[in-house]
Amino acid sequence: MLLLGPINVLNDLLLKTGLSAETVNYFVWPLIQIGIVVTLVALWVAYATYLERKISAFMQARLGPMRVGPWGLLQPIADGLKLLTKEDFIPENADRWIFFFAPYIAVASAFIVFSVIPFGPDWAVIADVNIGLLLVLAVSSVGVLALILAGWSSNSKYALLGGLRSSAQMVSYEVAMGLSLIGALMFARTLSLSGIVGAQGSDSIWYIVYQPAGFLLFLISGIAENNRAPFDLPEAESELVAGFHTEYSGMRWSLFFMAEYAAMVVVSAVATTVYLGGWYFPFVYRLEASGHHNLYVIVSLLVFLVKASIILYVYFWLRWTLPRFRYDQLMDIGWKWLIPSALINIVLSGVAVFVVQALNYSGKVKTIEHLDRGLNMTAAGKGIVFGIGVIGLFATAVLLARINWRSRDFNLRVQRRNIKLVNLPKGKPAVQTES
Amino acid sequence: MALVKTPKPSFTQKLKRFFMIDLVKGLGLTLKYNLGAITDRDAVAGKGIYTEQYPKVRPEVAPRFHGAPRLNMDPETHDTLCIACNLCAIACPEDCIDVIPMDVEIIVAGKPRRKKVLDEFIFDTSRCMFCALCQEACPTACLELTQEFELATYSRAGFVWNREMLEQGRETVKYTS
Amino acid sequence: MHQVEIATTQETLLDSPEMVLNMGPQHPSTHGVLRVVLRLDGETVIDLDCDIGYLHRGMEKIAENRMYTQIAPYWDRLDYIAAVSNGLVWVETVEQMMGLAVPPRAHYLRTILTELNRIASHLLWLATHALDIGAVTVLLWAMREREEILKIFERQFGARLTCHAWRVGGMPNDAYDDFNKDVRQFVNNFPKRLDEYETVLSENRIWLSRTVGIGVISAEDAIAIGLSGPALRGSGVPWDVRKSRPYAAYADMDFDVPLGENGDTYDRYLVRLEEMRQSRRIIDQALEKLPDGPVNAKLPKVVKPPPGDYYHSIEGPKGEIGCYIVSDGTAQPWRVRVRPPSFINLQALRQMCVGHLVADVVAIIGTLDIVLGEIDR
Repeated sequence: MLLLGPINVLNDLLLKTGLSAETVNYFVWPLIQIGIVVTLVALWVAYATYLERKISAFMQARLGPMRVGPWGLLQPIADGLKLLTKEDFIPENADRWIFFFAPYIAVASAFIVFSVIPFGPDWAVIADVNIGLLLVLAVSSVGVLALILAGWSSNSKYALLGGLRSSAQMVSYEVAMGLSLIGALMFARTLSLSGIVGAQGSDSIWYIVYQPAGFLLFLISGIAENNRAPFDLPEAESELVAGFHTEYSGMRWSLFFMAEYAAMVVVSAVATTVYLGGWYFPFVYRLEASGHHNLYVIVSLLVFLVKASIILYVYFWLRWTLPRFRYDQLMDIGWKWLIPSALINIVLSGVAVFVVQALNYSGKVKTIEHLDRGLNMTAAGKGIVFGIGVIGLFATAVLLARINWRSRDFNLRVQRRNIKLVNLPKGKPAVQTES
Repeated sequence: MALVKTPKPSFTQKLKRFFMIDLVKGLGLTLKYNLGAITDRDAVAGKGIYTEQYPKVRPEVAPRFHGAPRLNMDPETHDTLCIACNLCAIACPEDCIDVIPMDVEIIVAGKPRRKKVLDEFIFDTSRCMFCALCQEACPTACLELTQEFELATYSRAGFVWNREMLEQGRETVKYTS
Repeated sequence: MHQVEIATTQETLLDSPEMVLNMGPQHPSTHGVLRVVLRLDGETVIDLDCDIGYLHRGMEKIAENRMYTQIAPYWDRLDYIAAVSNGLVWVETVEQMMGLAVPPRAHYLRTILTELNRIASHLLWLATHALDIGAVTVLLWAMREREEILKIFERQFGARLTCHAWRVGGMPNDAYDDFNKDVRQFVNNFPKRLDEYETVLSENRIWLSRTVGIGVISAEDAIAIGLSGPALRGSGVPWDVRKSRPYAAYADMDFDVPLGENGDTYDRYLVRLEEMRQSRRIIDQALEKLPDGPVNAKLPKVVKPPPGDYYHSIEGPKGEIGCYIVSDGTAQPWRVRVRPPSFINLQALRQMCVGHLVADVVAIIGTLDIVLGEIDR
């Protein structure tokens, strides 16, 4: 009840100022929501950098930032201030306007996506567009443009090549990303992200159970899309300098950095929404039933943030454990491993849905509960889909083996070779010992 | 890139390969480190934090450490132990040491004798490589390399130490926070 | 200045597919100031040339003007990562020229500390090699082990890195009080750590894709170029100076020599890991068998080897490090020449890199385990 209060009070205040109810609902409230979301995401991104340093430090048996503020918590602020005060220089014959705008395009495309992501039910999503998922994929693709523009406008051979390589990588993995989402869509039956979460809620399941392969594929292609380890060769060594952002310094560089982390958060958020149930957590809906509506929304919001943070942790975990792929191996994986797997996933999901519907309408086994929001199934239906998912994993393995039989890396079969230990015969000693 | 010959994998190996067990094992180890760091178990034998937060925590320096040089003095008479024999300057590979003696008159058994004592001792720590050949050469254990390692100064001239600096030591600021 | 053989950009046409790329002396992955000029066709390396000399300090010339005992601290700065081995080769060469017999306790302590030094050097190699390929965590774990060894060195010798460990005729000080305890503790903890590195790297498919079949050199080519150390043993050639011409106390030690098969990066990686295990075994045995007694032989007042020349080599961590001294009977040598293993190993770089991609060049430089201090002296 306490939480219901302030929002209603604010609503009444706004209405009293003479604005029409429509203006308040469709203009003022969204602005407030945008303000909150942008602040939240900016803070999340800044503290994601801090968390990355701390988590990587703990994995490496060291401490990470400790000096700036207690436990180093003010480190992102110190970094931000430092970057603001750096000299802002532009290379000699660089294309000035494009050089200026490229970082803004990157940041904008990363942040715009947050307008459709459902942080919670009800008022915790800014715009519940009914093609939400398509919008996410489309706007993230605009980020690739920013990379190309940055590389091109730097007037540097290495920045250009680095930028082109990064963007080629991103574009390849976007195909896999988009295809891997289609499997989950067959169960959700809507492109709207809130609708997908609602479908998982009404089916009382997380789609990772139906689509384990899809989740893995989405996560792997998301990581490659973000140019993060183990797929970060263009950034780490690209032509032996820093890739597309070589010539950027100070605040402009930090905008690229923020855009990268914001894109990571986007992929984490979309993965939680589509596969991990978004803000849905069993038994939290009872809060709504008992009347605490705003509390329900806030708890769901927290659930969402925790899940997205777990996937963000997976990002850090992978970066600091695994070595990085070489560029040709990276492209190989994108085109010859992930895309066929995603296609198989689509086929198998379609087969699963068909089998479920066929069984239901044939009257023999009741597999579908209702088609209210998404495909809600009975336990039998869920079991069948899960079984087909597991069979699908093996089918994928067989298909990948057939496609990649000539690939050098696939032929690294036994994964550890033992070396010989030889006890060589000893020769004449070279030194004298005083006895 | 030659294809190296490897034996054919067995079925369990194929399964392990499919489920990416090799990657999972590596990831499990880093997770253990992460959790171990949070609970901060034994750093040397276990999986805790190995960092020493210098300058809050002063490091433990070994007794034999080759640090800053010092000219020792007799603890009772506070005279220098140096006999100006010049062995340290001869031993030094880098010619850092300059021993400047002077003659003083002393009476030995009623007769005036001239004794060589130390006048000035110049030690250029910027050329020194802390090899301790001078410490080994000194017959009276006067020249000693201490455990002092914070030798930074603001000027190159600050590295050239005279006798007084070598005997008294240098005032260094020890930051503890 | 050495004329780099690869054509510079003025000579390559703008529309030619070839590009000349300079991995300059300042580069995070070249392990020192090494300049590598690559001629690339797209991403494939078709030609490679190294430009060295950025760290030349004139050590051999300096040695002509110093006394034999004064040269030992300079020798640490050759392969600065494994200073104890360098000191050992100098001191043993001088001792043999003079016909000095060193007490057995000194030999055993030399063995223990030189093997610790080998482990430290291989740990640094592993750290930087893994870092270049992308597994950053292994860097810090290996540094933690190395820190333990450096603490032992600090307590024993007084310095962590450039130790000036040995003197002609033995050691300056006997083992410190807790030496046995510290070394024993290290030896007990170490196999677990090696297993951890293996868990993260040895079977990891990404590591395998980056290292198997990369930088292959056959046994015949390795012998022809004159490689030594793990680079040679990775190609399957059974040559280890500790076995063929034992020095210090190696004649009494029981250990195996790991040999690779294919001569690629992965084999050299496995060989070095296994060498760390065998080093641990040697330290264990030497600690058990450590005899009592003095640690110094009786030396004349001034070290003056008889006129003549002498060559002695030991198995350093990077390869066979040798020292050739020409003496004219005075207290200062006439000419000193170092056989630097990294310099000779680096000559294999071109053969190993041609045909691979640019990203592999970094891995191959890492696997050769070069140290510019030795190459440039």
